[in-house]
Amino acid sequence: MWLSLSDTSSSLPSDTDVLVIGGGVIGCALAYYLAREGVTVTLLERSELNREASGTNAGSFHLQIAIHQLTGLEVDSLAHRLLPEIRLYVQGSRLWQNLERELNGSLEMHVTGGLMVAETDKELSLLHSKQRIEHDAGLETHVLEGEELRAFAPFLTPNLKGATYCPTEGHANPLLAAPLYALRAAQAGAAIRTGAEVRTIDLEQQDGFVVRTSRGSVKARRIVNAAGAWTNDIAAMLGLRHPVRREGLHVNVTEPRERILTPLVQHIGRRLTLKQSANDTFIIGGGWPARAVGDDGRYRTVWASAAGNVTIAARIVPALANVRLLRTWSGPLAFTDDLEPLVGPSRQLPGYFTCMATTGFTLGPLMAQLLAETLAHPTGKSAVPDNFAPDRAAAAMAAARS
Amino acid sequence: MSAPHSTTDVLVVGGGPAGMAAAAQAAAAGLSVTLVDERATLGGQIYKRMGPGFEVADTRAIGRDYAVGERLISQMGQPNIDVRLLTSVLDLDGTSAIVCEREQSTTVIQAQRIIVAPGAYDRPVAFPGWTLPGVLTAGGAQTLIKTQRVLPGKRIAFAGSGPVALAFPAQLHHYGANITLVCDAGPPPRPADMAAMLIAAPGNLALLRDAVGYRAQLLRAQIPVRYRRIVVAAQGVGRIELVVHAAVDDNWRVIPGSERSERCDALCLGYGFLPSVELLRLAGCAFEDDEDRGGAVVLVDDWMRTSVDSLYAAGDGTGVEGSLVAIDEGSLAGLGAARDLGAIGSHEAERQSEPMRRRLRRRRLFRRALRRMHRVGPGIYELADETTVICRCEEITRAALEPALGASADPAAIKALTRAGMGLCQGRNCQRTIAGLVAQRHHCALGQVRSPTARLPARPVPISAVTDESIEDYGFFTAPATPRN
Repeated sequence: MWLSLSDTSSSLPSDTDVLVIGGGVIGCALAYYLAREGVTVTLLERSELNREASGTNAGSFHLQIAIHQLTGLEVDSLAHRLLPEIRLYVQGSRLWQNLERELNGSLEMHVTGGLMVAETDKELSLLHSKQRIEHDAGLETHVLEGEELRAFAPFLTPNLKGATYCPTEGHANPLLAAPLYALRAAQAGAAIRTGAEVRTIDLEQQDGFVVRTSRGSVKARRIVNAAGAWTNDIAAMLGLRHPVRREGLHVNVTEPRERILTPLVQHIGRRLTLKQSANDTFIIGGGWPARAVGDDGRYRTVWASAAGNVTIAARIVPALANVRLLRTWSGPLAFTDDLEPLVGPSRQLPGYFTCMATTGFTLGPLMAQLLAETLAHPTGKSAVPDNFAPDRAAAAMAAARS
Repeated sequence: MSAPHSTTDVLVVGGGPAGMAAAAQAAAAGLSVTLVDERATLGGQIYKRMGPGFEVADTRAIGRDYAVGERLISQMGQPNIDVRLLTSVLDLDGTSAIVCEREQSTTVIQAQRIIVAPGAYDRPVAFPGWTLPGVLTAGGAQTLIKTQRVLPGKRIAFAGSGPVALAFPAQLHHYGANITLVCDAGPPPRPADMAAMLIAAPGNLALLRDAVGYRAQLLRAQIPVRYRRIVVAAQGVGRIELVVHAAVDDNWRVIPGSERSERCDALCLGYGFLPSVELLRLAGCAFEDDEDRGGAVVLVDDWMRTSVDSLYAAGDGTGVEGSLVAIDEGSLAGLGAARDLGAIGSHEAERQSEPMRRRLRRRRLFRRALRRMHRVGPGIYELADETTVICRCEEITRAALEPALGASADPAAIKALTRAGMGLCQGRNCQRTIAGLVAQRHHCALGQVRSPTARLPARPVPISAVTDESIEDYGFFTAPATPRN
């Protein structure tokens, strides 16, 4: 069962305490956690729920330190930054593991474990360095080499130098999470409205905002910008700008085949993430680009990304060679310049909040939950780390000037 | 990327009537032409060659098409036409095509102009029992008969509409099949229709002769055609044993209480065709909706140019109008490409195109005359009951679709919630039915229902045929990853 179009297309409430802009997994989770706390919340989505990054990512929970955090940088110098981040990811994955029970529905959640492979000696030494940091942060990972790796993961090419295994990694179906959050949010009293595109946001005299949309206006005491890849489009309506950028991400899916692969597979030095989904298809991604069509966040998949991506996949898991590639898709990938989430209250503009997790499927629900706590209990200490603040870049600049 | 690369003046996709006619015209203007088709032989569906030794009771029933086909196929032997069979196009991006040969290797063909003539496939109609063995499309039955010399059954029922409903049973009868029932969802011809056909007939005499001939053949064979009746269920244990048909109104909606059933061991369905538009969608062409020509039809100008630069479309893939229209459209596209490339003067192109345009005008007049009889009613997409499988690849029933149909009017969102359309056929067999269900549920016109985004590859392709170690992995979207201090 899903939230019906007759509900999501009914008229907008005239006012609300919290207005969430954006119907991705974070927006829907925010609506759920807020409604559950008894906060009056309205969610506005310009098209349909879960149609962008939240529904187009590959649905993996990667907890191991990923390549984009390491490329070109010495691991040891990053340890102080990576430690709290890994702890956050572990917390995020715990939330996911309880989510089907919490939301009382299937998300096709599977804790399968995950491997990160190395093809060169240099990559292998990176695996060892990152494993030490993970160990210090309390994330269980093991480096496997030689016969041990071959016995553990016979589906991998014998040419690997090694791999780290993390038993708590896994995946869920990204097509189901946001819609289920939205359904439970509405059942708890949230107003979820689709086809409502925000056009302007004005500050009220006393406090709060007037938000004009394609379907009428809403007065809101507080606003959460959860527009993901379009975060800056919303911020611009308030004269703000956040350090957020977007790219198009390419994903491949194959026909279903007999199960050969249970854990996730990713690569420390190449763009590859790979898993066999609950439907037995292979989903192959890892950060290959899709081409922008226009400048409003639409992307076309391109052949070079498909071919490049599956080439690496078949090199690491040779059995893929005789599996047929069925489809590709693309979606936006939103990230901040420092690759940290953008979550919390704005210091420049009271009543305005952002909630965006950089490459956020794993962290998204946790970010929403932490921000919802802050919104529901505004007088208490914020549950969100200070360094996620939306105007941190401006604050850092001001600090540098003084 | 540095995958094997070839260049050509004109790339023609599809070796049916339209594609071959386009290739012949472009080659006649002195251009180099590459023609690809995913099948093992040229000819498309209409000119598909018969298996050896097959008995045809009356060669006239197939003779004319056969001769036209053989003539076109022989023209493909010219030295400046490079015919590549068992070759499917995976992506069209600008003037590059990614093609896969024999499921073994992938190459890039760079062309000055691309003409897409992808043809059409049988309109899938979902009703209770449509997935039972023994239920097949007219096209499927035709392929069985033409290439394998196999009749689909001993007591064959046919249900359909439009020209197929007339031609197919007559053809099948001539192949020696025992047709026991013919249901046409459209109305019986009235004197006014006959008059309209006669007025439109000059230049279409062959078509009219065919129509009259098919009817006469059915009459002689004492095969009654039941008009305004549609098949509502196929029943049987393990395969079809019984067909249930019912009367329909003008919108092809079933009139309750009018159901009748008859025994049969095969049911052929011929409710017209849908254009194969995957490549045209991938290329980014603009479309309009015309259910009578198969739903989504690509917009083309008077030289068959699509809205995408350097890309032309012709034949049933641009809206289903039959092989004679396809040949003229293909010729126009080939001529247009030659003209646009300067291989032929625009005045000369205009002159050569005149007879093609004249024939196309007449045939469209004829088609409009038949419109009342051949219009496809929206009821065709509303026959499934709760347990009917709508998406065969993912085995999604109508009941499983219901919550998603309630949640969204966007087929892409419905697909995401249910997986309907995510399987091997990528929605070719279910998307039109789902669009029909959306239109019914949300009270909008079928043409207003959006289509899910087209994505490469246009055909499933083994990963071994795709792998290309020369593609550089040029790193992540590395943001200025300065660590925070």
